[in-house]
Amino acid sequence: MNLAFLAVRNIKRSFSKYMMYFFTLSFSVFTVHSFLALVFNEQVMEKLTYSRRYQSMLVAFGVVIFVFVSFFLISSNVNFIKARKKEIAMYSLFGMTNAKIGRLLFTETLIIGTAALVAGICSGVFCSKLTAMILLNFTLAYFVGDIPFVVAPQAVWFTAVPFAFVFMLMGTAGRRVIAKFELVELFKGSKLPEANIRGSALHLIVSFALIGTGYYWAAIKEPAKLLLLAVPILLVVIAGTFLLFWGGLPQVFRWLRKNPHRYFSGENMIALSIFTHRIRSIGSVMAAIAVMSAVGVTAIATGYTLYGSMEVSTYDQLSYDLFFYGGRDVRDEVHDVFTKYGVGILGEYTVNRYQVKAVQIDPQQTVERVFRIYSESDYNRLIEVSRKIYQPIEVKPGQGLQAGRDIAAYAEIDEPYNDGRQSKLVLSDLELAVVTRADMANVHFGAYQMLVVSDEDFDHLVQTGTFASVDAFGEPLDEVTVIKYENPLRAHQLNSELNQILDARSSGYVMAYNYYVEAMEVFGLVCFIGSFMSVVFILMTASLLYFKQITAAEEERHLYQILRRIGLDPKAESRVIAKRLLPVFFAPLLVGIVHGIFAMKSADTMVFRHMLDVDNTFMVVMRFSAVMYSIYALVYSAFYLITKRQYTSTVR
Amino acid sequence: MELLQVRNISKVYRTSRSAAEFRALNNISFSVREGEFVGVMGASGSGKTTLLNIIGGIDKPTTGKCVIAGQDITVLDKSRLAQFRIKNIGFIFQDFNLLETMTLKENILLPLALNGYSAAEMERRLNQLSADLGIGRVLAKYPYEVSGGEQQRAAACRALITNPKIILADEPTGNLDSNSGKALLDLLSMINKKYSAAILMVTHDVFAASYCHRIMFIRDGEIYNELYAGESRKHFFDAIIDVVGVLGGEAYEPGFPGCAKH
Repeated sequence: MNLAFLAVRNIKRSFSKYMMYFFTLSFSVFTVHSFLALVFNEQVMEKLTYSRRYQSMLVAFGVVIFVFVSFFLISSNVNFIKARKKEIAMYSLFGMTNAKIGRLLFTETLIIGTAALVAGICSGVFCSKLTAMILLNFTLAYFVGDIPFVVAPQAVWFTAVPFAFVFMLMGTAGRRVIAKFELVELFKGSKLPEANIRGSALHLIVSFALIGTGYYWAAIKEPAKLLLLAVPILLVVIAGTFLLFWGGLPQVFRWLRKNPHRYFSGENMIALSIFTHRIRSIGSVMAAIAVMSAVGVTAIATGYTLYGSMEVSTYDQLSYDLFFYGGRDVRDEVHDVFTKYGVGILGEYTVNRYQVKAVQIDPQQTVERVFRIYSESDYNRLIEVSRKIYQPIEVKPGQGLQAGRDIAAYAEIDEPYNDGRQSKLVLSDLELAVVTRADMANVHFGAYQMLVVSDEDFDHLVQTGTFASVDAFGEPLDEVTVIKYENPLRAHQLNSELNQILDARSSGYVMAYNYYVEAMEVFGLVCFIGSFMSVVFILMTASLLYFKQITAAEEERHLYQILRRIGLDPKAESRVIAKRLLPVFFAPLLVGIVHGIFAMKSADTMVFRHMLDVDNTFMVVMRFSAVMYSIYALVYSAFYLITKRQYTSTVR
Repeated sequence: MELLQVRNISKVYRTSRSAAEFRALNNISFSVREGEFVGVMGASGSGKTTLLNIIGGIDKPTTGKCVIAGQDITVLDKSRLAQFRIKNIGFIFQDFNLLETMTLKENILLPLALNGYSAAEMERRLNQLSADLGIGRVLAKYPYEVSGGEQQRAAACRALITNPKIILADEPTGNLDSNSGKALLDLLSMINKKYSAAILMVTHDVFAASYCHRIMFIRDGEIYNELYAGESRKHFFDAIIDVVGVLGGEAYEPGFPGCAKH
């Protein structure tokens, strides 16, 4: 009977316990390998426009996952060894040296590690085509192609070597843990090693105060202020959460234990007293999970919200499916393309890009400015073609409607003009009273400032030849055409041919499709990586809790023996176990959800309110995070059930 | 009136692979009257603890009946058995078996709590008992904060709180020093008299056994001998020593002085 034999036998015997460990490990290997395989897959990289950006992002997140996994492995390994304290003391008692026991544990780790590595990489290779397709589906607005199945040997190597290294490291970590064991532990009666921590009302109050402060700040409505407070918010909420689990929760339990009517219902009493006893060892893990799940879910929900509302935000930025500068010849070519692909044009308007120099006189200063100028009816026709809905305007003779893209954002004008202050514009022989409006359409087409005048005034200006025919760089100012057409974000072939023509022929053009494709690539990748990361993260945290509870089950077994002797029937026992384990899995989730709601509020203030054109952006975001939390809850429920089964079979 | 009737109980352990079997108990029958204090003695492996476990409903016999207060417990299913155990049987164990996650008070109230008693009723019973057993001052403490004697008294208190008809004690003095042991035995005698609860006590300790009204000696799964207490505890003590000597010496000497043969 050599060590390898003993190791294999040990693994066989506690197969069900190792299963979860094995599964989590394999999935981590799978994820890292999948990322690397994508990086090394030339066919995939070819398809992506920004492949350099992609490669570095995938590698970076592969490393992040790897670091996570290493921590998880080492901590669960230590837990594992602790759970086997008695067995190890027994080996030691029968004359096995620590070095030999260390080798035994090392062999076990190596066997499982190798198996997980092989399983992870094999399934990674097996699914590599699928993951590549998923990535391309996520990131390319238009993708119907097929990718050949390829095995990237570099990906296998770059996964296997670091993981093998971590397994070695775990072996050494195991040695350190057993060195700390005392033989005497074997002879001590089965007693729970931990003392009761009592918590205090102060802990509870301080933790609530910290978390409450964080929440209050998170709900602030000014983005600038919120940005400054981001780090303080994180700090107080994290500190508050840890304090809540370390000292606050035990205090709540103590209060519960003082309420005889609730508490003395037998099952509550048993479950609560055992759980209180455990909180010291599990408190930190629970707090960490609460915080990290909130951060993770917020990040991913943010990604998905942006990803899912890409179309809306595209038009929010651009207004038009397509606009281009150029004369009749360019327009004809564009029309030919539309006819060729049979795509219907829903609206079109062409207007001269007239530009005018004017002197603006207001009480403080007199400045000369350049304006893009339209007549009232031209402007109203232009906005009809827009995907975004604008109100038609009306301008009286002698009036000028002035709008900046975002007036305050341009240094040329120090203050927005919508504060009711009066100013005048002098254009050759005309003098206009300026009116400013914030809800004007984005139809500047290359100018900083826009001016809309009445049709009469416009005609007068045309006749007097006030408009410039070349811009500041001497380029001729031609016409601009805006087009609204069917399925602008899906018509891939039409768009690519339009791109070709306009690249060659037009002095400038913007197509919503191009903007959409780039945004899809960026956010698609973020979502893709985020999904993998969150699955790894959920699995790891859940299995960490699982291991902790299995270790605890070993130590709590005698309690259930006593309880059975006193007369705890099997049904009641099962209820006690449920009550004992439920808070472990669902308290962090609950706290995480509440944190997440406020984190989403901040994300809403900082990001979504500007990017989404919906009335209640917060609700949109909450919908996405609700989906994420449901997934969390689902996985945790599954782990809870597995843990409960294992726990029950251990204490029986 | 007979409170406990054990009829032809056998317990056979079989290993699944071989046909070899081990008889822990072999066709044992006896009975215990209400308010009786009975001791069970025997060498290690003689089957005493198996017997106690069967009577307590923790273990099931292979054959035979065990009737407590008119109810055959061998036919009850697990849940009913648990209910029956809470109402009728109190346990006292060698290693006290107090849950270290609970205060003494919570430990003592546990059987009532599991049975859904009202908080007021629990308090009422606890106050009376804890005063009798002298642990009123340490009720709010955890087991590891009090002495072994106090722990055992708390365990006795837990056994008594449901007003059981019979108390099963498995080596209750085994983990106590002689003073605490004697105090506990005095306590058991007091419980036996004041609450008129029958006590069935398994013990190795001859001194502890001398507190009983009657002692059954078990050997190889059968009742080997029975002794009844007389007027003098000293005589009873000597008689027990003699039988124990025989049992321990593995020699069977018929007609040993002072033994009333079964």
